[in-house]
Amino acid sequence: MSEGNLPQTVETDQTPVATEPVDPWARENYFDPDVERHPAVRVIRETFPGAILDIVRFRDETTIHIRPELLLEICTLLRGHEQVGMDVLTDITAVDMLRLRQAPRFDVVALLYSLRNRVRLRLKAGIDEGQPVPSLVPLWNGANWLERETYDMFGIVFEGHPNLRRILLADDWDEGFPLRKDYPLRGWKEFPVYNTERTVGRVRTRWTGRGV
Amino acid sequence: MSTPVSDFDLVSDGSTLDNSPEPPKTGTLTISDEVTRPDGSHQLVLNMGPQHPSTHGVLRVILGLDGEVITDCDPVIGYLHRGVEKIGEQHRYAQVVTWTDRTDYVAAPMNNLGCIMAIEKLCDVTAPERAQYWRVIMSELARIASHLVWLGTHALDIGALSMSLYCFRERELILDMFEIFCGARLTTNMMEIGGFSRPIPELLPSMVRDFCKVFPDRQQEYVDLLDANPIWQARTKGVGIISPEAAVSYALTGACLRGSGVNYDIRKAMPYLVYDRLDFEVPIGVHGDVFDRYLVRMEEMRQTLRIIEQCLDAVENDDRPLMAYESNYVMPPHKGTMTTAEDMQRHFIWVIKGFSPPVGEAYFAVEHPKGENGYYFVSDGTPLPYRWRVRSPDFVNLSVLPHMAQGAMLADVVALIGTIDIVLGSVDR
Repeated sequence: MSEGNLPQTVETDQTPVATEPVDPWARENYFDPDVERHPAVRVIRETFPGAILDIVRFRDETTIHIRPELLLEICTLLRGHEQVGMDVLTDITAVDMLRLRQAPRFDVVALLYSLRNRVRLRLKAGIDEGQPVPSLVPLWNGANWLERETYDMFGIVFEGHPNLRRILLADDWDEGFPLRKDYPLRGWKEFPVYNTERTVGRVRTRWTGRGV
Repeated sequence: MSTPVSDFDLVSDGSTLDNSPEPPKTGTLTISDEVTRPDGSHQLVLNMGPQHPSTHGVLRVILGLDGEVITDCDPVIGYLHRGVEKIGEQHRYAQVVTWTDRTDYVAAPMNNLGCIMAIEKLCDVTAPERAQYWRVIMSELARIASHLVWLGTHALDIGALSMSLYCFRERELILDMFEIFCGARLTTNMMEIGGFSRPIPELLPSMVRDFCKVFPDRQQEYVDLLDANPIWQARTKGVGIISPEAAVSYALTGACLRGSGVNYDIRKAMPYLVYDRLDFEVPIGVHGDVFDRYLVRMEEMRQTLRIIEQCLDAVENDDRPLMAYESNYVMPPHKGTMTTAEDMQRHFIWVIKGFSPPVGEAYFAVEHPKGENGYYFVSDGTPLPYRWRVRSPDFVNLSVLPHMAQGAMLADVVALIGTIDIVLGSVDR
């Protein structure tokens, strides 16, 4: 069978392939160096012009910074789209950008995955402290606990979440939100210190400059 | 459905989009509106855990009961929360890897692999081919070890006491291999950025070969004990059904997702290491009940043995390097540190100061025995990760428990907890 097909393959090699129209929804578009050819970017730009604030490509990963108030609408769009089909919500988390930029303070990170295209997409919504983000629970049940954890660790309020309360820390935890950058490693409260009578003074040994 | 009237503030899970409107059918009883008592006022609130042996650690579940039927389920987690993400922000990249051992401690090499691969992706380092094969071997051995712990404890919960003895017997063989490889049995920390810094022990390939020879017969013993056992079938078949839509909606991964019939395995979907060169298959369930997830995991163990044998064939008589020493992000070789000052300084500076990856972020996920174990690093160009996120499969998979327990029998709760295959160190992190 392969021998019979051999002349045909030689012929197709000689025809110029570059001029053929490429399927705009093909998988290689997701990894194209030109981010404007990314199908998710095109879909968002078409429906919500102005929603995309920035697009970052690093190590074959695409991060789209979007307006936070449109997070739910954009996720609905990407999830229901025929070809893009970002139907799995892999992760929701946040990054406290306190030491990296002036404003906004937090980045809410939603990591989507498309079962049919086998690609990931990261959406980032920058918000200030106290600014709510739309919850993704109406779309994915898995967002329930992930958003609770993000609230628990960062104090980010997800608007429309049915049951937003602490999940990993105790319900009566009153020391704030631990993964914020201004939260000390050992907490705000005083803790017992033993062995205070040092015979030799402590020497700072940490070289990295960030301190503990 | 009666409203909860109790001293506890029993808040329901509150999911608005439930893809399977009908409550899941349990072994003998189906809950519907008719089962609710006429007065609708009595709901027993039962606290289970965190010291209950069947909760696999320190999981606490608050159950709302109507007779023997669960009407409400609220998992309470966080008893093992150590804040590894906060701790990791104060550690250098190579030190962060040790914390992954402490998250899911029954499959530590697999956690090491995910974290190491995420750092390597961030730094654009590729391990040598021989190290990639050995990474596959060690992490797939960890998959068998993890599945054996799951099978032993899961069967123990349901009532097959002897299973745990058999399973832990075979797990000892794997832990012996870990011990001869890196000295540790549980918290292995066996992988380095760029490969392996330790040589492969001479005894190890033959140990793995012997294990591959002996394990299929041992696994047949489990099958003989369980598969046709009427008690096992009555406790697992038709219990804890998850529809494919619900499984995707709850972001399940691993055997919980594949047991429901959704074909998603990261080793096939986005192959990493040498998985694209290996010949193996991904088992898929049909009914999505506890029994199907059991079958999926048993078949996964057989396929894992195939993977290990293929990898051993490829690298058994191989003496290529195990570490990508040409990269600046890789720990300098330990070899010359005792003889030349320059080598000692280079090694010392790397260990003390660490290295600074380029500014950026990277997410990498491996197919953990429990599901998708992802690690997300945000680098600001300093030797400490600016943000380190562990996407643990156990935490996400456990969120389906209220959905499964809705309408199930009280005695099925231990089967439901067991079938999700959680390790509380990974749930709470």
